[in-house]
Amino acid sequence: MTTQQLRPIRGVHNAPLEEFYTSGHRTCQGCESALVLRLMVKAAGPRTIVLGSTGCMYVANTTYYSTPWVVPWMHTQLGSSGSAATGTAAGLKALMQKGKMRDEPINVISFCGDGGGVDMGLSAISASLTHPEYNHLVLLYDNESYANTDIQASGSSPWGANTTFSPPGRERRIMNTRWKKNTAIMLAHGHPKSRYFATGCPSYSLDLMNKVRKALTIGGPTFIHTFDPCPKGWDYDPKYSHELGMMAVEAGLWVQWEMEDGKLTYNGPSRMIATGRRKRRPVVEYLKRQGRFAHFTEEDIAYFQAQVDEMWEKWGTPGISSVKLDLTGDRA
Amino acid sequence: MTTYAVEVVYRGVFQKTLSRNICRGIVLAAHKEGKVGTAFGRYGDSPERNGVPAKYFAVVADDRIELEESLAKYEPKEVDVTICADDTLCRGLESWGWYGLQAINALTKENGTLIVTSKQTPESLLEDIHRTDTPYNLAILSGPASFSGLWVYKDDHTDVRILGALAKVLPGLVGLESYCQAIEEQWKSGAKVVSARRSYEQLHVRPVEPGEGSSAPRFSFEKPGWEEMKEALVVQGVAKGAGFRGGDGGFQAGRSEVFKKFSTRTMRPVINFEICTKCTLCWLQCPDTCFDVTPDGLYDVNTEACCGCGVCEDVCPVPDCITMVGEEHFKDNFSQYDWYQRDKEGYRQWLKGITAAQSAQKRSHGLHHWGQYQEELAAAGRGDNDDN
Repeated sequence: MTTQQLRPIRGVHNAPLEEFYTSGHRTCQGCESALVLRLMVKAAGPRTIVLGSTGCMYVANTTYYSTPWVVPWMHTQLGSSGSAATGTAAGLKALMQKGKMRDEPINVISFCGDGGGVDMGLSAISASLTHPEYNHLVLLYDNESYANTDIQASGSSPWGANTTFSPPGRERRIMNTRWKKNTAIMLAHGHPKSRYFATGCPSYSLDLMNKVRKALTIGGPTFIHTFDPCPKGWDYDPKYSHELGMMAVEAGLWVQWEMEDGKLTYNGPSRMIATGRRKRRPVVEYLKRQGRFAHFTEEDIAYFQAQVDEMWEKWGTPGISSVKLDLTGDRA
Repeated sequence: MTTYAVEVVYRGVFQKTLSRNICRGIVLAAHKEGKVGTAFGRYGDSPERNGVPAKYFAVVADDRIELEESLAKYEPKEVDVTICADDTLCRGLESWGWYGLQAINALTKENGTLIVTSKQTPESLLEDIHRTDTPYNLAILSGPASFSGLWVYKDDHTDVRILGALAKVLPGLVGLESYCQAIEEQWKSGAKVVSARRSYEQLHVRPVEPGEGSSAPRFSFEKPGWEEMKEALVVQGVAKGAGFRGGDGGFQAGRSEVFKKFSTRTMRPVINFEICTKCTLCWLQCPDTCFDVTPDGLYDVNTEACCGCGVCEDVCPVPDCITMVGEEHFKDNFSQYDWYQRDKEGYRQWLKGITAAQSAQKRSHGLHHWGQYQEELAAAGRGDNDDN
């Protein structure tokens, strides 16, 4: 089972000039998910097949007779990014074994949004991660709502955020009260034969590109979850897309990490926070820049901050996993 | 037996609530005069994208049968009034669901009216607006474009000021008094009624003769049906790209020929090549792959692909190296790098002037912090911004 040996990119000046996801997509101004795809395939290189499940990054990229893709791509249904990845990798392998195709390592990347990955496609992704014989990467780009269909709440919409499914309410407070975020660690816990899991953010472009390269080089099924500010659904000036991604990481709301063969490391500012060399920024600085949180009261802000504090102060793996080991108690 | 149709051409998401308010206002006012109407967004524009041009329609008829008959056409093929809520749309619009560049007045009827909210003169706007074969009127509602976001609305009275203007240019649709009643009922605001009346009085209308206006080409191309498409391919891929301007050095990405995105832009990055440190960030962080890498390691904006998000200005570590400048200062999609190579001194002088002009203006693309709109409205004197 061979893969392309993609070397880490050392410094932005060594980033490949070639583009395999270029202009001609119909996304919003300042769309960070488009940037994720651009960086993803820039890192992966020309011998790559991309599969996309329904969502902004499918609809806006491949409307009638036009596309920004330079590499081959295919649309797949909303819940089936995992199945498409396994199927394509298996198909390529079979064709090569039968001699119907030149035997060479081809990157297979399947992407899905948070609707496709955190909600409905989760089981298919999980299934794809149980097939160590196939090489592929599932990339989950998370803009925290069903942004393509005009901002409905998804499983990963943050607590309190205004969406068309969770308005703040005029008479009575409605709000989104759910809290679910750590999809990558959730998947990492249950699929011991998959060798690589990571989170990323396009504001840290080099880190993201190197994670994609590592995932494709290591072999077997791999998974990356990215955090993409969305100017439309989050309601802010598109100019600040890059800045908001950095703020979320610096506030400890989004944690940058990777797990290679079961060994977990924090990256970038998250590493500084985890090792105590840097203080987390107050979450309110991040919240008050976005219209989707404009209805927040002082109590809401305090609650939000308390949730983030708990992630870092109480969890077994700070900011990442709430699993704690306790060998003293025995209820049997 | 008359049916009236009005379209609002607006910036997707930034002016979504504004255009909905205008079209709802028209229909509610029509009810006051015993007419019926309907307000709807164009199907092909949904889901909207930030800044991408979109349309909202209001159709009003004397009775329900007549209305249903006109709606069988699915969306109006011609309109009595086109309302352009942002003057940078005057150069034409490329909606995300349709192809090519459409003139702003493409649907405006003979002797119809184009209302533009703008701080420019009619003559300056007519340099952008495509010429037509039939006469029409150009009405200018003095004021800046009103931008807000999906969740927080900037209530600067632009919605009712446009309704007041509409009463002036198309009194047959609905009269001013009916608009004022509807506004009072809908928004419970006397101040908004005053704003509507004031814009009715102050509206400036200029007749436009056939042949007046811009002759700039409208970019369009063949749209193949499914039978003409290539076998096993729904969409053709994009070329890989090559060196800068086809040469050996640098890199110029291949780009989609059928969707260019520049009509989404209200501001464009202007680059001071002399202080650029070649840090790569503008190029690397651009979601739209706009930057061409020149052989000497500088970055030239491809203005056909740039949609003006402003991320490059934000990530650039050198102060004043990249400045976002309002689109009203430009007439075409020229290459700044080519100009700089040709005439360095001329470029320097232009750059100095244009960045100074921009620093006097404010960027209005949505929310920067909570409470911002209230602060801006208070500073402008509660929405009465028709004098600035």
